[in-house]
Amino acid sequence: MTEVKEKKTEEIKKEAEEIGCPVKRALYYIEEFLNGPMCGKCFPCEFGSYEAKIILQNIIAGEGTESDLLALRKIADEMLEISRCKKGKDTAKFILEWMGTNAYKEHIEGRCPEKECKALVEYRIIPEKCIMCGLCLEACKDNAIIGEKKVSYRSGYLPFEIRQKRCTKCGECIKVCPVEAIEIIDVKVKETETVSAGK
Amino acid sequence: MSKMVKLTIDGKEVQVPEGTNIIDAAELAGIHIPNLCYLKGMKGIGACRLCLVEVEGAKAPVIACNIKVKEGMQVTTKTEKINEARKFVIDLILSMHPLDCMTCTKAGVCRLQQYAYDFEIKESSFTRKKFGYPTDEANPFIKRDPDYCILCGRCVRVCKEQGTNVLEFMGRGIGAKITTANDKPLQESECTFCGSCVDACPVNALLEADRWRKGREWEYEKVNSVCLLCGNGCDITVSTKDGKVQKINSAQAEGSAEKYICAYGRFGFDCIEADTRLTTPMKKVNGELKETTWKDALETVAEKLKEAGKDTGFISTAGIQNEDALTLKKLAKDVVKTNNYDTTMSLYADADCLKNSQSADIDKADLIVLVGLNPSQWKRVLPQLDASVRKRVERGAKLIVINSSETKIAEVAAVTLTGDEISSLKALAKAAIEKGLKADKKLESAVSDASVSEDVEKAAALFAEAKSPVIFTSPSLFEAASNISLIKGSVVAVPAESNAKGIALMGLTTEGKTYKEMVSGGLKVLYAVGEVPVNKRPDVDFLIVQNSHLTELAKQADVVLPSAVFLESAGTIIDYMGRLKYLPEAIEPQGEAKSHKDIFIQLAKVMGGSIKRPTETEVKKAAKVKVKPSLKPFEKKEGLDVSPDEIIESVNASVINGSRLLWLKEAEKAAV
Repeated sequence: MTEVKEKKTEEIKKEAEEIGCPVKRALYYIEEFLNGPMCGKCFPCEFGSYEAKIILQNIIAGEGTESDLLALRKIADEMLEISRCKKGKDTAKFILEWMGTNAYKEHIEGRCPEKECKALVEYRIIPEKCIMCGLCLEACKDNAIIGEKKVSYRSGYLPFEIRQKRCTKCGECIKVCPVEAIEIIDVKVKETETVSAGK
Repeated sequence: MSKMVKLTIDGKEVQVPEGTNIIDAAELAGIHIPNLCYLKGMKGIGACRLCLVEVEGAKAPVIACNIKVKEGMQVTTKTEKINEARKFVIDLILSMHPLDCMTCTKAGVCRLQQYAYDFEIKESSFTRKKFGYPTDEANPFIKRDPDYCILCGRCVRVCKEQGTNVLEFMGRGIGAKITTANDKPLQESECTFCGSCVDACPVNALLEADRWRKGREWEYEKVNSVCLLCGNGCDITVSTKDGKVQKINSAQAEGSAEKYICAYGRFGFDCIEADTRLTTPMKKVNGELKETTWKDALETVAEKLKEAGKDTGFISTAGIQNEDALTLKKLAKDVVKTNNYDTTMSLYADADCLKNSQSADIDKADLIVLVGLNPSQWKRVLPQLDASVRKRVERGAKLIVINSSETKIAEVAAVTLTGDEISSLKALAKAAIEKGLKADKKLESAVSDASVSEDVEKAAALFAEAKSPVIFTSPSLFEAASNISLIKGSVVAVPAESNAKGIALMGLTTEGKTYKEMVSGGLKVLYAVGEVPVNKRPDVDFLIVQNSHLTELAKQADVVLPSAVFLESAGTIIDYMGRLKYLPEAIEPQGEAKSHKDIFIQLAKVMGGSIKRPTETEVKKAAKVKVKPSLKPFEKKEGLDVSPDEIIESVNASVINGSRLLWLKEAEKAAV
């Protein structure tokens, strides 16, 4: 067995900053912090960061509310204020750094601006763009795409569709689509569209 | 006296000794600073962050448990910011703590409950968490319920510091659990069931196992008393309800770790209502013990005592109170008119050494010397001495063990001198004098023939450096050990029984036959008081046993008089440090049992004599001794060969066999 070297908060910060969505970024930081450098020697940090993790998971799962944001801010504020050492304070600072931006608010409203939080987005094939080449069908390991590959001399083909229940939002289809016919849309946006379409 | 420091806390001016931390200083001023992880008497670790206070001139709030007071300090313990922070921490803890205060045994003394009330938190605003660790309740002493644990670590620190080292954190952060090595139940660990962790726990995570529905704090009547089960004579707090003892704790304020008591003292009280408990006098009729009245029993005894006169012998344990000892002596000397009265003290100590033994403050000692003593928490032989020595060593004091046999406590000693104790003591004195310590010329010449080994050199160096060394010695080695204290420090003889020193000072030491002579037979009447370590009836015409329990000896007696246990009898003792300690009557004696002194007084009356109840002044007068330290021969007193292990085990046989301690004894036996 190889010894796993414990990460430093700076390393975690660097890794986290590669993630686009600020909420996901914070969650990554907190999870790595809890797995690694969190020493558990003072209550605000050890209990607070655990609670922050739960709240961030909630938000990412699309179940966040306004009061979650308040609680998260409170945790970060107090951790910054009364944690025993720099590690706890750094964690609090990291959370606070992005809490001021709109990203958190948008998440509560059901949108992930970076389209990274899977619970908040859906994959959709734009029918007008789809050429029914079948590459996505082959790439999809979850068998979430329905459609028949077009044979050039026949007609009557329908554009491909994604079955949302099966889709795990892995992104493989986007990578192979030659015509950029697959887009990621906010769940909430889709809902409003359907409502307006029904009018 | 240490220097006093003046400071202001919340506008209140207070004066406290130098070196006090802010929490303790505030407590002295009547101001409570919230805290969960701080244990009075131990260094603060600042984990809970509740004790944050503002100090004028400091940039950020400081933790009051770890910051010492300074002259002119201005402390504010409550600001809006600090209260918010405290509320935040309590809120977080409540999110993982059961909210069942209505049925919780700890209600009323639970710190978390108190703070939730103080900060007006009905329920946590955070996500509810539960880890579902199983409860450890496989032993009859301590129940561990990790669901209630707030991870303050008090129990871990208490257990570590006293040297038992059983409890430890498993994991870290919120899902951590406090448990034994390999997560085994307590009885499979090295646990001695002293219950220090129970006293330290601020919530319901560690509790006496039998507490369910036995009342909560506000229902108890509490009295401070003293445990008389061994020579340590520990301070205890007895909680009673409906005339019954419900629990016994170490006599210290909640949230402190200054005093230790062992499993005997904490859990031995079950024996009050044991099956073997005597509640009526008994008399032998046709070879069988039959219940009788006090009148009949006392008249029978009186008649026999009158007949036998000077051929009567009185033997007793040294765990009886001063008042019992004084009345017993008067009964023997003035009423029965015999010179034969002696106690078990004579098996391991002589009266002179106990009278000359000094007092000492172990908490101020920077060097402890143990001479011929083998205290052990694990064997429950002078366990409190073991715990306090280990605690002192943990806090920086040095330990020298001088013992011809192996001891467990030597594992924390800086130097261990094995081999003959007398030679070691002589060599130590010689080496100390060679190091330039001043000593009497006579002492110098007395030790001139000693040979100094390398270890002795080391010990002497420690002794030379020490400011206030304390020497604890077995009574048989007292004289030799006291010679060391002529150079520096104080010397304390540690007897095996709680009131041995009191017995010596009250003068319950024979002028006729000794204890050993009396139990070997030849007397007309033998009167045994307390749980004397005799199992077979000595060859006497008539045997009277006065004890709280029906022992083997009592079964063979002609008359059995039921006496009160120490929790049922008010009186005083003088512990090994020479402190006069008071015992109230925590509960009334069971059935018709009476205290020893009451029986002696009534018996004297039946015999036509009269003994007055001893007053406090009488005890205090008898307790006064002038100690003039002088050079004594470097010799071990002969004939004092009964070990503390033996004595403590046998005088407590009924306590052990009549309580849940029996479970412990059997578990220990099975483990070997």
